[in-house]
Amino acid sequence: MELKSIKDAFDRVVNKQKLSYTKTHEIIQMLSQELDKALSILQEAPPPQFDHRSILADVKKTFVENQLEVTEKELNVALTKYPKVLEKQLNSDISKAYRHNVEFDTHVVNQIIANFLYRQGMFDIGDSFLAETGDESECSTRHSFVGMHQIVDAMEKRDLKPALNWAASNSEKLKQARSDLEMKLHSLRFLEIAKESQNSQEAINYARKHIAGYADSSSLYEIQKLFCSLLWSKNIEHSPYSELISPSRWDHAARELTRQYCNLLLGEPSESALSITVTAGTEALPVLLKYMNVTASSKKVDWQSVEQLPVAVELSEEFQFHSVFVCPVSKEQASDENPPMMMSCGHVLCKQTINKMSKNGAKSSFKCPYCPTDVDISRCRQLHF
Amino acid sequence: MEIDPVTNGNTDTVMAEPAPAMAPSRPVPSSRSSQLTESIKLEHQLLRVPFEHYKKTIRANHRSLEKEVSSVVSSVGDLADNDWSKDVAVSRLTSLVSRLQGLKRKLEEGSNVENLQAQRCRARIDHLDSADVENITEWNNTKLKRILVDYMLRMSYFETASKLSESSNISDLVDIDIFREAKKVIDALKRREVASALAWCADNKTRLKKSKSKLEFQLRLQEFIELVRADSYKQAILYARKHLTPWGATHMNELQHVLATLAFKSTTECPKYKALFEPQQWDVLVHQFKQEFCKLYGMTMEPLLNIYLQAGLTALKTPYSFEEGCTKEDPLSQESFRKLALPLPYSKQEHSKLVCYISKELMDTENPPQVLPNGYVYSTKALKEMADKNKGEIKCPRTGFVCNHTDLVKAYIS
Repeated sequence: MELKSIKDAFDRVVNKQKLSYTKTHEIIQMLSQELDKALSILQEAPPPQFDHRSILADVKKTFVENQLEVTEKELNVALTKYPKVLEKQLNSDISKAYRHNVEFDTHVVNQIIANFLYRQGMFDIGDSFLAETGDESECSTRHSFVGMHQIVDAMEKRDLKPALNWAASNSEKLKQARSDLEMKLHSLRFLEIAKESQNSQEAINYARKHIAGYADSSSLYEIQKLFCSLLWSKNIEHSPYSELISPSRWDHAARELTRQYCNLLLGEPSESALSITVTAGTEALPVLLKYMNVTASSKKVDWQSVEQLPVAVELSEEFQFHSVFVCPVSKEQASDENPPMMMSCGHVLCKQTINKMSKNGAKSSFKCPYCPTDVDISRCRQLHF
Repeated sequence: MEIDPVTNGNTDTVMAEPAPAMAPSRPVPSSRSSQLTESIKLEHQLLRVPFEHYKKTIRANHRSLEKEVSSVVSSVGDLADNDWSKDVAVSRLTSLVSRLQGLKRKLEEGSNVENLQAQRCRARIDHLDSADVENITEWNNTKLKRILVDYMLRMSYFETASKLSESSNISDLVDIDIFREAKKVIDALKRREVASALAWCADNKTRLKKSKSKLEFQLRLQEFIELVRADSYKQAILYARKHLTPWGATHMNELQHVLATLAFKSTTECPKYKALFEPQQWDVLVHQFKQEFCKLYGMTMEPLLNIYLQAGLTALKTPYSFEEGCTKEDPLSQESFRKLALPLPYSKQEHSKLVCYISKELMDTENPPQVLPNGYVYSTKALKEMADKNKGEIKCPRTGFVCNHTDLVKAYIS
């Protein structure tokens, strides 16, 4: 993002502020010098010739005009301009895309925030938050998150026992979730043993007992690497396998544990639901704002009461949780009443579209809109995504 | 690809070009970076608020210094215009000199405060500048915490706001000190004292006038009502003459309405007037003050969190989110998020997006969808993995239907 114009405008403000400071300083300095001078003349002058009036009138003459005016004017221009630059470069009011008739239940929002803070391991802050909101009911997930962070904290101290215990007692669920967490933890332990013990025997025994069971196609290569690393066990840092002991592998395992813990135990997304939603909001807002800016002047869309957004918001891949099929001909979203149907050529349309193309079954075949195939209606079949 | 996006598909000249057979696959880096640019444009408040603060300090310092300097100059003039004895003249001059010394100190102090605030503005610009595609996850984490602190400050959860900002090291990026100014006023209003709110209005007189704010009028009305409640009618009338009449020109109807409380008294059962004596009127004042306060500093009226949550929930909301077997990865599978999303509209989709039931991966040209004979669709990769493990046998995880890997057909989704 080009922030140059913003930076320039701000530099101008700071420069003018400095200039104005210098000028003010100068004036005060001068004024006090003049007064000092006048004072010493007065004090030394013998009484008969004493004429303070003319001396002071001179002093005053020097200062009648407001000498700060010019610098102040320049400063003011810079001060007024900067907000205008901001308004031009940025979206000055993101609440334009906000539906004001929808009020969030503060209690629900507060529970979501508390849950987020606990999930991040900020237990003090979460407690303080609930105390300040006056919400007496404790966040129900606090206890589980304490358990999770104990495991993760132990891992940070390179203690794998709690993590291994948890993984072992949730082994089946982890397998179902296609997670390789257990294998990851065991390989970390394997490398620890290899490093600590004098000979490799202990590590090999450990691997036979705990790791051999994972030898399917996906982790076979990983296991081979682990064993090869034994050849360098005393100085693995300088071996082709140095990446096996990099701290990022620990971080990785800790992250995977967090994900699985939240997912399996709490039924929460692997990333925090609050952070997913806010990030999705960050992606959606520019689109919504653009839409509002374009339509605000021409036609008034009743933003506050629409059932479906009038504009498509394309979120990134990671926010795609469901299969959505949109018929390429009718542009309608598939539903139970209007399911997706595959034609004999492999192209997919919605049922209603196929009905239309075949004139509701009056024609027994029609041409596929995407390829030269003649489509036999009886051979179209419904798909389930 | 040199197709002007504005004319895309609209004119015959473009149509004459051979249309690309497939939708051009967007290069990920460029779309990611334009997304980043767009998200930075949402950060107006981040830069605007500290600047308004800075500007306010500069103006206030300036005004007071200017006033002092000109008062010194005019005192010099006074001395010059009158006949004073030497002693008097000398002692007056001496005191003026020491006043100038004080002025110099004041200038110094003021400039220090200004510099600190300028630094804060700068830190925020730098923070925006530091965002790039590489560190976006971390940057977004910080952003979420900023948004949470903003929410806490607006809800007056000050202690937690400070704790969170300190522990996350984002003190320069949040406006705790500015909200402290608001807190004083809000606390006083909650104690049913209007003095600090009125002082705030006087402080920001020009700007409130420009935005046609009637906060001061409403504060005055409340004070008047309190006098009526206390049966101090004479005082109430005097108060109204002094403080309410200036608003007559613009707000005559309200003025008349409220003044009639003199007749109705606080014990009235007339619903229109009973309402004016309700204690909730003070909550209304708190709310109005907050609104004016936010407007003055260039903040959004609603907490940022609500704006982002609403946009995010709407974009994520699909009919599938509310189904029984909704994946736990969808925030809308959570009861609390569903509650918030309920009154919001559904998102709109213009293109098919298919997610593999088994692997949760996107099914696109890289990993196209394949159809089992029973009509169920999974991604090529997941099916291949299953076939490799089970000697070519495929078992539909949703129906238990069994077939061979060779029975699969590819589906074309455009």
